[in-house]
Amino acid sequence: MIRIAIVLALLVQTIETSPPRWTRRTGGQNLYTQVFTSASSVSSVVESLQPASGPANSTLTAIAGITVGHHTLTTRPTGCTVILADGGAVGGIAQRGAAPGTRDTDLLQPANGVDRVDAIVLSGGSAFGLDSANGAMRWLDEHSIGWDTGVARVPIVPAAVLIDLWVGGKPEIRPDADCGYRAASNATDAPVDEGSVGAGGGATVGKLLGNDRAMKGGIGTAAIALPNGLQVAALVAVNALGDVADPRTGAVVAGARNADGSLADVRKLLRSGAVLQRLQGGRPGENTTLGVVATNARLTKADAGRVALMADDGYARAVVPAHTIADGDTIFMLATGRWSGTPDVTLIGALAADVMADAVVRAVTQATGVSGIPAVRDIRKP
Amino acid sequence: MIRLLIALTAAVMTQGFSPATTVNATLTAVPGIKVGHHTLSERPTGCTVIVVDGDAIGGVSQRGGAPGTRETDLLNPLNMVDKVNAIVLSGGSAFGLEAATGTVRWLEEHNIGWPAGPSRVPIVPAAILFDLGVGGNPKIRPTADCGYKAAAAATTGVVTEGSVGAGAGATVGKLAGPSRSMKAGIGSAAIKLPSGLIVAALVAVNAVGDIIDPSTGAVVAGIRNGDGTFADARKLLRSGATADRARPAENTTIGVVATNARLTKAQAARMALMADDGYARAIAPSHTNGDGDTIFSLATGRWDGAVDITLVGALAAEAVADAVVRAATQATGVAGIPAVRDLKK
Repeated sequence: MIRIAIVLALLVQTIETSPPRWTRRTGGQNLYTQVFTSASSVSSVVESLQPASGPANSTLTAIAGITVGHHTLTTRPTGCTVILADGGAVGGIAQRGAAPGTRDTDLLQPANGVDRVDAIVLSGGSAFGLDSANGAMRWLDEHSIGWDTGVARVPIVPAAVLIDLWVGGKPEIRPDADCGYRAASNATDAPVDEGSVGAGGGATVGKLLGNDRAMKGGIGTAAIALPNGLQVAALVAVNALGDVADPRTGAVVAGARNADGSLADVRKLLRSGAVLQRLQGGRPGENTTLGVVATNARLTKADAGRVALMADDGYARAVVPAHTIADGDTIFMLATGRWSGTPDVTLIGALAADVMADAVVRAVTQATGVSGIPAVRDIRKP
Repeated sequence: MIRLLIALTAAVMTQGFSPATTVNATLTAVPGIKVGHHTLSERPTGCTVIVVDGDAIGGVSQRGGAPGTRETDLLNPLNMVDKVNAIVLSGGSAFGLEAATGTVRWLEEHNIGWPAGPSRVPIVPAAILFDLGVGGNPKIRPTADCGYKAAAAATTGVVTEGSVGAGAGATVGKLAGPSRSMKAGIGSAAIKLPSGLIVAALVAVNAVGDIIDPSTGAVVAGIRNGDGTFADARKLLRSGATADRARPAENTTIGVVATNARLTKAQAARMALMADDGYARAIAPSHTNGDGDTIFSLATGRWDGAVDITLVGALAAEAVADAVVRAATQATGVAGIPAVRDLKK
């Protein structure tokens, strides 16, 4: 009892002294749950409360071996984000949106041979943006990283794109191979920058009432670490047709706005039969949410596919509607295998869905408005 | 002619006995869709048959890791047959697939099926859930007789929910073992728009996960603490506290979404895929390796309004989530496994 009291005191103290970003993400709720569900894990709670130096990394790069780099174009709000897996990682994919733009996704099917991925590229620029992966390939080639074919190392770089061509300038400006090369060069293991950067540079959400009622999306990321050492983390570029909702409360966080600027809640509009501009022959291809989940667990390729599939439930929970005919929603999975604990795929998949939903919510709360498209922080004045 | 008379009489009786204010907010709100349950008396298990009057374009989303199914491959848009005559949902694990055999027999007796030369072949996709551990001898499970009786019992009346048919032995909240689980069952919901578009869902909820109300984020049914409160599987998983996990194959949520819209087979598949998001929103976790989560879609095409598949799919997900919550709130406890209404006393 005394130990619990000490932990609670430490908890309060840590929350008061830590940057808001860290406490928000490491989650008072999570620690609260640990205290009340498992007194035996008190010591590990204390450990997790006291990062060795500075704020804990609660982003995708919390997974050892995973580095992330953005490159954001200056000529128009768009860009690309490159995730590098040092030494390779077992890969998987869930591709369930109806308007995808992808490359090297077939090789991620468990029935196919290659089971190591060197990098994932997420890019703006619609199908043109797939060019970004060529630049990441070149960077990896220069560093002799890739699948050993005997005669050469071939970098394995699955990629997916989102469409942001209508945002903030000339649609002819889009990420190219140079973007992918620079983003790969920028990749570090530092906490990942969120908001209107990289592949999220031109991302928007809440477009069911038309682009003029949309809000800014962007890059979000979150991580979960269990006392036993298992880590699961997510990074997402949110550019959904639908609204973003917080699954913990059911409330809309960002989405289609009424004429007065308030949130319309498309779930209610859809159920009421209200006329929605984007359902009346509107341009269908202006969306797509792209993400990566990573774990330090050791997974088979089939397990990685299952975790990607379950992570996709995070989209369903935090994006409404998700997986529409106008979204190319895609999630990549990376398992580094550096943690040697026994993996339980249901646990890892459930955490992947949770952390993906957290990342989606952060993508809109961390975004900054561009080109007259407001972000959550522009609307919620303190 | 006699069949038509019987059907008309049944329709009139259903209308006649219902109070004028009653609105059918279940799967049978979609005209042409009939539902029948058969519940075994020897053990809480059974089957539920959805019979399509005429036929419907079909689709499927099969994303749980432990499925038991039949005739799902033909629902792939690349394959030829695009009409479905009935869907069978059954308890009894893979043994329960036999229920579909009885439904095929009933349909053949009524000359319903895909025209194939001299005969009509009933197209009956089916999926099962695992309930062998609930309330008695696991050798007792739905057979062809169950599927025949459920088909014969199918009506256009308001669907009975709770611990009946394929949901009779269904339970939820099993991540901390069966002793802390709760009873669920059949749930159904329907959404009607002013335009005339109808989208409805029926589910048999037997998930390893908890049931969540997506409109609030609160647990509706799931793992119980000793004092009868909910542990919340999401919090347990994030804390790393779960140890006594349910054996992996003893779950599965199966369901049907139906619409009166006119869809292509590919659109029906997209509707099923989006409907599956209703599982994700109302079940946590869902689509695990221990769940054979499957959802069928049926499009009767009796409403000729312009179709927007994003709208139909989004409403299907909403209806499925509503139906999942109802499957928990409408259930009654069996074999010592309490339902939501038992906890609220």
